[in-house]
Amino acid sequence: MPNEVPTQEQNTLYIDAISQALQDEMRADETVVLMGQDIADHGGAFKITRGFLDEFGDQRVRNTPIAESGTIGIATGAAMLGMRPVIEMQFADFISCGFNQLVNVAAKMFWRTERAVPVVIRLPSGGGVGAGAFHSQNIESWFIHTPGLKVVSPAFSGDAYRLLRSAIRDPNPVLYFEHKFLYRREQSPLSEAPISNHIQGEARVVRRGSSITTISWGWMTHKALEAAQTLSGEGIEVEVIDLPVLSPLDLQPIIESVRQTQHVAIIHEATITGGFGAELAARLCDDNIWDLDAPVRRIAYPDSPAPFHKSLEADRLPSSERICSELRQLISD
Amino acid sequence: MIDPRARTPLSPEEDTYSAADSCPAVTEMPDRTLQEMHLYMRLAREWDLRFEKLFRTGALSKWYSSVGNEATTVACASAIEAGDALLTLHRDSGAILRHYLDVDQILPGALPAGKRSRSPLPGDSQQRLLRLTCQMLGRQAGFSAGHERSYHYNHFEEEHGLIHIGMISHLGSMIPVAAGVALAFQQAGKDRVAINFIGEGATSTGDFHEGLNIASVWRLPFILVIENNQWAFSTPTSQQYACDRLVDRAIGYGIPGVQVDGNNPKAVLQVMETAVARARAGEGPTLIEAMLGRQRGHSEGDDSLTQVPVEELEQYHENDPLDLLEKELTDKGIASHAWIEEIRERCAALIVKYVDEAMSLPEPEVGKHRSIYAE
Repeated sequence: MPNEVPTQEQNTLYIDAISQALQDEMRADETVVLMGQDIADHGGAFKITRGFLDEFGDQRVRNTPIAESGTIGIATGAAMLGMRPVIEMQFADFISCGFNQLVNVAAKMFWRTERAVPVVIRLPSGGGVGAGAFHSQNIESWFIHTPGLKVVSPAFSGDAYRLLRSAIRDPNPVLYFEHKFLYRREQSPLSEAPISNHIQGEARVVRRGSSITTISWGWMTHKALEAAQTLSGEGIEVEVIDLPVLSPLDLQPIIESVRQTQHVAIIHEATITGGFGAELAARLCDDNIWDLDAPVRRIAYPDSPAPFHKSLEADRLPSSERICSELRQLISD
Repeated sequence: MIDPRARTPLSPEEDTYSAADSCPAVTEMPDRTLQEMHLYMRLAREWDLRFEKLFRTGALSKWYSSVGNEATTVACASAIEAGDALLTLHRDSGAILRHYLDVDQILPGALPAGKRSRSPLPGDSQQRLLRLTCQMLGRQAGFSAGHERSYHYNHFEEEHGLIHIGMISHLGSMIPVAAGVALAFQQAGKDRVAINFIGEGATSTGDFHEGLNIASVWRLPFILVIENNQWAFSTPTSQQYACDRLVDRAIGYGIPGVQVDGNNPKAVLQVMETAVARARAGEGPTLIEAMLGRQRGHSEGDDSLTQVPVEELEQYHENDPLDLLEKELTDKGIASHAWIEEIRERCAALIVKYVDEAMSLPEPEVGKHRSIYAE
C-alpha cells in the first residue's frame, strides 16, 4: 500500500476514475452488468455511464424502474447465479427503500447458505452541494453495523478507481460510497498497482505528523489535510489517516499512529450519534486508552438532517476552520 | 366467516380478465402422471405428519406444516426440469421432495417401470433425502449445518441441475431474488425458468410489486405461484386485499394471470406447463393463484387456527387434495385401494427410517464460526 499523498502528475478527476473503473471491469469480465435508474441512454444522474450503452448494449447496461428494493433483490438473485451486478443508486439516500433486501437478504446470504453474492452498490453521497435532506446524507454507519457487507469510501481518484474494480471482483456485497462534492473537484493520478480481487481493510497515513492523529474518509480527509496544513504553520503537526475502506476495518495503522501522537480526533461528515466515529473511539478506548493524553475527540455533523440553504448547511458541515479550532483545543487540554 | 369468492375459481368461460392463454378446461392426462403425482403428494404428507408428531413429542422446537398444499406444490414441481430454479417457502415440502427425489431410487418398484412424467434430477436421491432430513432436524449434515432452521436453506448441485433457494422470512422478499435468478438465465441465453412460491399475505408487500413489475418489463422467465390458503397467520383475505382475485393484478403488469383450483393437481400441472412453455419461449412471467384452504395453524402449536371458523375449516378438510385425488384414482380404476394403502405404508416407513437415521447423526459443532464473508 503506497504511503504517500497522491502526486499531481497525470491527474484524473474522481468522477472519471469511477467511470473508467466501470468501463475497464466491464471490458475485462462479461458477467459484469450495470443496473440503475436512467443509466442507459441518459448515462445516469451524474453521467458516469454516458456512452456505456453504445459499447456494452442494453443487456449489460440496464435501466431499472424506480424500484430500489426490487433492483437490489434482482441483483442478489442474479449474483447467486454467477452474474456480477453493479447497481447505481441515483443518490445514496434512496438505498433506504432497498434496506431489507440489502441487510437481510444479500448481507446474510453467505453466512446462512454459503452462497456468494457479488453485488456492488454505488452510492453518490454526501453534502456540500445544497441538495437538502434527501440528497446529502452520509449513511455508512447503517451498513458498517451489518455483518456481511463491505463498505468503501474513497477520498482520492486513485483509490476510487482501484477500489471500484476490486469491489466488482469481490465475492461479497460491497457498498461503494462516492462523494458527490469530490466528483469534479478531486483529481489525482490513478494507481499502477495491480487490482486486488478482494476488498480488505485499509487505513493509510496520507500526511505524517507527530502531534495529533486524525482519522477520516471521503471528503473529510481533504478537510483534514487542509487543517493540517494550517496547523503546521502554528507548530502543530497533524498525522492524517484516511480510511478508503471502512468495513472490514484495519485498525493497526491507527493504533500505531495514536501511540506516537497520543492525541486522536475522528472527523466525519455523518451525524455524530451512532456514527462510525463512536465505534472507532470505543475501539481505541478498549486497548489504547493509556496511550492517550486526552480524550478521543469526534468532529462530526450535528444530529440534524441536511438543510437546503448553503449557509445553513455550511454551519453544520465540519469545516477546516472548525477542525483547526477543535484540534487546537485537543492539544492544549 | 366464509369468503365465497375465495372458494370458487372462475370457469374459463367466465374468466374475462386473464390473457388468452390462461387456464383452459382441464384435459385428461396419462394415468401414470396421476399415479406419480399421487406418490409424491403422499410422500410429502407423510413427511409433514412425521414432523408434526416430532413437534408434539417435543423432539422439534418448531414446525410449519405443508398439509393441504401438496397438490399445488407437487404439480408445480412436476412441470420443471433439471437446470430450472426452485424458490420455496415453508409450505412447499411437496415441491422440494418432487424436485429432489427420483422415486426409483428411494422407493424402487413403487411405480410401474417406464417413462416418467418428468425426468428426475440426476445424482444420489438417498443422500439428498438424508441431508434434507438432517436440515429439518438441525444436524451438522443438513444443508446449512445447523445455521438455519428447516426450510431457510439453499441447496445447489449445479452438476445435477439442482438450484434451490430456500425461504427468506421477510415475506415477498424472495420475489425479486427469484426474478434475479431468472435474469441470470435470460442473460446466459438459457431456456431455464425460475419458479417462486409465495402466500397470499406476501402479495401485500412492496417487493411483490417491484419484483413482478421488473420481471414483466424485462420479460424474465419467471413464474410466481401464489398459494392462497385464505389465511396469513390469523389474517383472512378480507383484511389482506380488496380486489376480487389476486390474479387480476397480473393485468396491471401486462402478463397472464391464471387462477386455478390448488387442490386439483391436474389443473395446476396444466397451468404450470403452459406458464413454463411461455417462459422458455421468452414470453415472460406468469402469475398463478392456486386456491387452497389452510388445514393447519401458521405454525404447529400456535393458536392461529382458532381464528378460522369451524365450518370453514371443515370445508378445507373435505377438500383435502390427497383425499380427493385418491378418491378419483380409485373411482376411475386408475389405482386400487390396496395400492394406495401400500404406497402410504411405504412412504411412511421411508420417512420414519430417514428421520431416525438423521436423529442419530451429530449435532453442529460449537465453537467453529462460519465466516461472514465469501473468500
